[in-house]
Amino acid sequence: MSDTATDQRLSPRSRLMLGTLARYGTIIGLLGMIVAFSILSPRAFPTLGNFTNVLNQASLAMIIAGGLTVAVIVGELDLSIGFAASLHGILVTGLVVSNGLPIPMAVLVVLLLGALIGFVNGFIVTKIKVNSVIATLGVGTILTGLAFAYSAGVPIVAGVPEAFLQLSLGRWLWGIPNNIVFMALVLGFLWLLVERSAVGQEIQAVGGNPTAAYLSGIDVDRIKILGFVISGVCAALTGILLASRLGSGTASAADGYLLTAFAAVFLGSATLRDGEFHVFGTFVGALIIAFGFNGLNIFGAPTFFQYLFQGAILILAVGLSSLGRVIAER
Amino acid sequence: MPALLEAQSVEKSFGGAQALKGAGLSIEVGEVHGLVGANGAGKSTFIKVLAGLVRPDAGDIRISGVPVSIQSPQQATALGLSFIHQELAFVPGMSVIENIMLGVPKKMRLGAVDWQAIGRDVEPLARRVGLTSPMNADVKRLSTAERWLISICRALVRRARLIVMDEPTASLSAAEGERLFRIIEDLSASGVAVLYVSHRLDEILRLCRRVTAFRDGRCVASLEGEALDRHALVEAIVGHPVAEAQMTAATRQVGPVALSVKGLCRLPQVRSVSFDLHAGEVLGLGGLVGSGRSELARLVFGADRPHRGEMTLFGNPFVPRNPAQAVAAGVGLVPEERRAEGLVLGKSVAFNLALGNLSRLVFSRALPLIRPRATRSFALGIIRRLAVKAESADTPIVRLSGGNQQKVLIGRWLERRPRLLILDEPTRGVDIGARSEIHRLVRELAARGMAVLVISSEPDELPELCDRVLVMAEGRIVAELEGESISRGKIVAASYQEPERAAREEESA
Repeated sequence: MSDTATDQRLSPRSRLMLGTLARYGTIIGLLGMIVAFSILSPRAFPTLGNFTNVLNQASLAMIIAGGLTVAVIVGELDLSIGFAASLHGILVTGLVVSNGLPIPMAVLVVLLLGALIGFVNGFIVTKIKVNSVIATLGVGTILTGLAFAYSAGVPIVAGVPEAFLQLSLGRWLWGIPNNIVFMALVLGFLWLLVERSAVGQEIQAVGGNPTAAYLSGIDVDRIKILGFVISGVCAALTGILLASRLGSGTASAADGYLLTAFAAVFLGSATLRDGEFHVFGTFVGALIIAFGFNGLNIFGAPTFFQYLFQGAILILAVGLSSLGRVIAER
Repeated sequence: MPALLEAQSVEKSFGGAQALKGAGLSIEVGEVHGLVGANGAGKSTFIKVLAGLVRPDAGDIRISGVPVSIQSPQQATALGLSFIHQELAFVPGMSVIENIMLGVPKKMRLGAVDWQAIGRDVEPLARRVGLTSPMNADVKRLSTAERWLISICRALVRRARLIVMDEPTASLSAAEGERLFRIIEDLSASGVAVLYVSHRLDEILRLCRRVTAFRDGRCVASLEGEALDRHALVEAIVGHPVAEAQMTAATRQVGPVALSVKGLCRLPQVRSVSFDLHAGEVLGLGGLVGSGRSELARLVFGADRPHRGEMTLFGNPFVPRNPAQAVAAGVGLVPEERRAEGLVLGKSVAFNLALGNLSRLVFSRALPLIRPRATRSFALGIIRRLAVKAESADTPIVRLSGGNQQKVLIGRWLERRPRLLILDEPTRGVDIGARSEIHRLVRELAARGMAVLVISSEPDELPELCDRVLVMAEGRIVAELEGESISRGKIVAASYQEPERAAREEESA
């Protein structure tokens, strides 16, 4: 009897293997992809220039996904980030071009607006008790409307000062692109905040068990609002940098970051931990997506293929994430 | 005739920890079989194996002599095994009959579920277990006892040959428990076997002719007939003879009034409650489940707001708007449902201990980053002090047994030193050893000047632990017992005091 039975069960060894695969699968996949592309395209792909380029491209997605990670850790979804980033991009361009605001002022105003949008999201979710999917989808749609109203549907292209472009196109010491520096600073800060700070412990507790957090004396609503605010500020930063990179403000330029950010966050939750969201994981997730896109570009894959890739990777990411949890509980 | 269920040398390990190292038992048709063991002895894991929720690494399970491998809960049901867990699972918002029939193929008529015909089938079963609530009532509104009856009905509808009951009386009153015993005896007489898992040895001794004891994942004893008595059971559970802990309530010194509650109301659960709790005193709150004790605790802790009434904490007006304010004012709570309300299950022991102590584990106010080493030694200190059985501070909290999880929850407050600590059902589902350790700890905290409020439905707990006991019924305090006069009998008797009379007395007073 035991023969037929054990065949279908997970032996401790295969459970360990499955668990390892789930935890390191994303990193192995990333390395495998890099190796495969290097072999297939030895001249174009594995160069310092291309890697810097990939990281530079991915930085904006990493910033917005890093913010989303915090919102997801507190147990809420923020679907407004892509639309918010679009609005922020058009707004910062407008403030600089039309209103003649100094660039630092314009950036500060937009970052504060990002925080305000996050606060509104959090307020609606915690105090009015609207499900976060609905609340942030509603807020995001309103923001899209505002973006079109502000720009009258016409992209702001003319008169963007060079200094604003340099925000994203400029380079730091040793020629490291600014975007990468911003990304490293933001993700480093978020990692410290979540993993090492006292507030971070509360953030994790609220996500892990809101009732227990509440009864241990944590102000759960405040922490959830904080999660949305962080998500909102990161969306604003991505929007600003995107506008700087594009040299224009367009009403729906950043909408696509929503899906990319979600894919990165969920891929990341299957990285090193069993389906638990964390900042470093998000970084790895975003890197996988960036290298994937880069490879598709190098091999000249048609545009439709990029959508297939993005959709498939989102499903794969969520699948891996929940698989990690299932295996951990067995 | 082969046994209904025969399990031998079942093994299972989680990560590094081996939960079952050769567990097994044998249950005859229609038998009421007892299963005892300390928390962490492997009872829950063993039951999960039978339920198809956990797959064993090795072992032999036979039903009516036929080897089986239980892969899923559906398969367990098909084999005639039914499970009633401590935390009863229902779909709130669904009616009694819908919950009974959940997952069972239903009679159809004209393409629609024929609830009338199903009702006619279920009615006799409901009568048999004494379920009197209407079939279309919402389960949300039913008492725990009635939910138990629904669970039994659910098992009977599925033609269960064995019903596994995990701590069935944990949240039942004495009278409700009696009713359950009669139902179990009736089930047994009709050929349905019951595996009765409980820490309450009196109940085991009363109901079961044979009892299996687990210790450290092994079956260590199978007792029946002459050999089956309380002493033998305790010895099998603990591994060596033990003397019951003696409480020295007489040596206590009571300090000033810590908490004063006047006319506190939150209808309909709490109706005008007044009492004083002194520093250094252990005050018990007895009464039936649903008498308003946990709701009263929530009011004191700021988790709910009272409609009327006032409180003072050490002489100062005390109006907590949320638990955070109550904690800041020096009140701690160890909640009733430790898994649902107390622990962050996905995290480690250290994480759960650090929660609520974060301010003392950071570098400084200006640099609120956690010091990892301080957190570790903080956690290890509490683990050692409370003798929590955990491999390390990083062990996931889910790997700990119920008693050890409870110690972690109490440990969370230890360094914070609240001036008032509320413990809601501190030893529910906790084994004898851990129970007396927790009791000793509570007395120790009180001796150091903490005011302690203990809510308990375990009949023997309050007399053992408390200096004074208030008994609640239907949201009111109906009796106050002190010192020698605290007894199980008096608490139970007061719990059933007619609420009308209590209300009249209150109005005339």
